Amino acid sequence: MSWLFTVILLALALMGAPLFVIIAASALFGFYMAELDLSVVIIEFYRLAEMPILLAIPLFTFAGYLLSESQAPNRLVRLTQALLGWMHGGLAIVALITCALFTAFTGASGVTIVALGALLYPALVRAGYQQKFSLGLITTSGSLGLLFAPSLPLILYGIIVQQLGTEASLTIDELFLAGLLPGLLMLVVLSAWAMWRQRGLSKQPFCLQEAKSALWQAKWELPLPFIVLGGIYSGHFAVSEAAAVTVIYVFVVEVLIQREIVWRRLPGLIREAMIMVGAILIILGVSLASTNYMIDAQIPTRLFEFIQGHVDSKLTFLILLNIFLLILGAMLDIFSALVIMVPLLLPIAIGYGIDPVHLGIIFLANMQLGYFTPPVGMNLFIASFRFNRPITELYQSTLPFFFLLLGTVLIITYWPWLSMWLPGRMG
Amino acid sequence: MRHLLLIIRFTEEALISLLLSAMILIAGAQILLRNLFDSGLHWGDPLLRLLVLWLTMLGALLATRNNQHIRIDLLSRYLTPDWRRLSEVIGLAFSTLVCALLAWHATRFVYYEWQDGGMLFGTVPVWLGQIILPVGFVLITLRFAILTVQTVRGRLP
Repeated sequence: MSWLFTVILLALALMGAPLFVIIAASALFGFYMAELDLSVVIIEFYRLAEMPILLAIPLFTFAGYLLSESQAPNRLVRLTQALLGWMHGGLAIVALITCALFTAFTGASGVTIVALGALLYPALVRAGYQQKFSLGLITTSGSLGLLFAPSLPLILYGIIVQQLGTEASLTIDELFLAGLLPGLLMLVVLSAWAMWRQRGLSKQPFCLQEAKSALWQAKWELPLPFIVLGGIYSGHFAVSEAAAVTVIYVFVVEVLIQREIVWRRLPGLIREAMIMVGAILIILGVSLASTNYMIDAQIPTRLFEFIQGHVDSKLTFLILLNIFLLILGAMLDIFSALVIMVPLLLPIAIGYGIDPVHLGIIFLANMQLGYFTPPVGMNLFIASFRFNRPITELYQSTLPFFFLLLGTVLIITYWPWLSMWLPGRMG
Repeated sequence: MRHLLLIIRFTEEALISLLLSAMILIAGAQILLRNLFDSGLHWGDPLLRLLVLWLTMLGALLATRNNQHIRIDLLSRYLTPDWRRLSEVIGLAFSTLVCALLAWHATRFVYYEWQDGGMLFGTVPVWLGQIILPVGFVLITLRFAILTVQTVRGRLP
C-alpha cells in the first residue's frame, strides 16, 4: 500500500505537480496510516511561526531583489574591472567574483545569469574571449557563491539541522565561516584556469584615475559585506538582525539616496520577492510535518542500518554521497533538495563520523555543481534560453569548468579541514 | 465571481506590501531599542515570527496564482503538448485535492484554538494570528481549482 503510494507520488512529482503538494501528501498519508489526527500536519506547519531565524529569509530575499533592480551590479562590475582588469584573464576573474558576490546575496535562482550574464557575456566576447569560453564561464558562475554568507541555501541548511534536534548542534554563524575557504578555493581554481586560458589576450593597463572613480561610485555598496559579515562574526547581530540591517541599509541607499528604484516599482518587487519566499517556506513548512513523520517511523535510522550493512567505510560513503548529490542537484532545485534530503542524510552522515557543518558544505558544493551538470542542470537551460544558444553548445562549453569544479568538490569532501578550520578557531 | 477575485487579488497584494514593511520597521525598531536603550517591544518578537507565517502563506498564494511553485521540471520538456497538458491537469487536480485537505485541517486547528481562547500577547487572541492558515489554504485550493479548469479548457500554454 505505502510503496504504491510512494510510486504514485513520484510519478506526480515528475509530471510537474508542485513539490510542496507532494511533500504534504506524503505527510498526510503517513500520519493517516499511523492513525493519527491529520491536524498534526498543520500543527507542524505552524512551527514556521516559532523559529526566529526564519525572519532572515524574507528580509535577505527582499534586499537581494532591491540590489539586483538597482545599478549596483553595474557598479560592482566596473569596480572589479578597474581593480583587476590589468591581469591576464582579468575580465573573466571580474565575472567570477561579481557573480559569486551577487549569488551570495540573491541565492542561485538563475537571477545571476539573467541579470549579470546579460552584462558580462557581451563584455567578455567584446574583449576578445572566445564565445565558447565566455558562455561556459557565465553559466558556471551562475551558481558560484552559494557557499558565501549570507546565501539563503546556507541559512536554510542551518535551520533544517537545528529543527531536527539531533545531538549534533551547529549555528548559522559557524556555517557562514565554514563556507568561506571552500568558496574561495572554487574562485581561485576557476580564476587560475581563466588566467591560463587567456594568457595570450592583451591586457588593459591599470588606471589609478578609473580605480578611484569606480571606488567612489561604489562607496555606498562597499560597506555592505562588512556590515553583514562583520556584524555577525563580531557577535553584534544575530543572523536575522543582520538581515534587517541589510534590508534597511539597501533600501536607504538604493531608494532614498541613489534613487535608482522608483517608489512605484516597490510593490512589484515586494511581490516577486515574496513569491520566492512563499514558494520556499511553504515547502519548509510541509516538510516539518513529513520529517516529523519520518523520524517517528524511524526511517532515517533504518536507512542508516541498511546503508551500513553495505557500505563499511567513511570513504566509500563519501564517494556514494558525492554521486548521489550530483544527480540530485541536477534534478531538484536546491531548496527542495535541502528540505527533503537533509533530514534523511544527516543522521547517516553523523553515523559515519561526518560533522554536520562539513556535511552542509559538501551538500551545497555538490548542489552548486548540479546546477550545470549535463544533461538536465537548471542553469544550462536558463543560459541556453537567455543567450539563445543550443543546449548542446552549453554542454560543451561548461565541460572544462565542470571538471575543474568537480575537482574542488572532491577536495572539499575529502579534506574536512578546509571547512572546519575557521569555525573551529571561532569556537 | 470575477469581481470578487479582483478584490481578493488586490487585498493580497496590498497586504503583502504592508506586512513586509511592518516586518522591516519592527525588526529595525527592535535592534535600535536593544542597542540604544537596552529594551524592546515585548510583543515585537512574537509578532515578527507570526509575520513570517503570514508572508509565507501570502507569497505561496501568489505563487499559486502565477503557477510559479517549485517543481521538478524534467519530463515536461520531452512531452508533446497534448501529453504535457494532460500531465498538468492531473498535477493540478491532485494539488487541489491535497490543499483542500490542508484547508480542512487548518480550519479545525484554528477552531480548537478559538475554543481554547488563549492570548498571543495583550488582548490579541492566538486564533487571530493563525487565521491565515485556513484562509490561505482555502484560497490556494480555490486557485488550484481555477487553474485546473483553465488548463482543461486549454487556456493555459
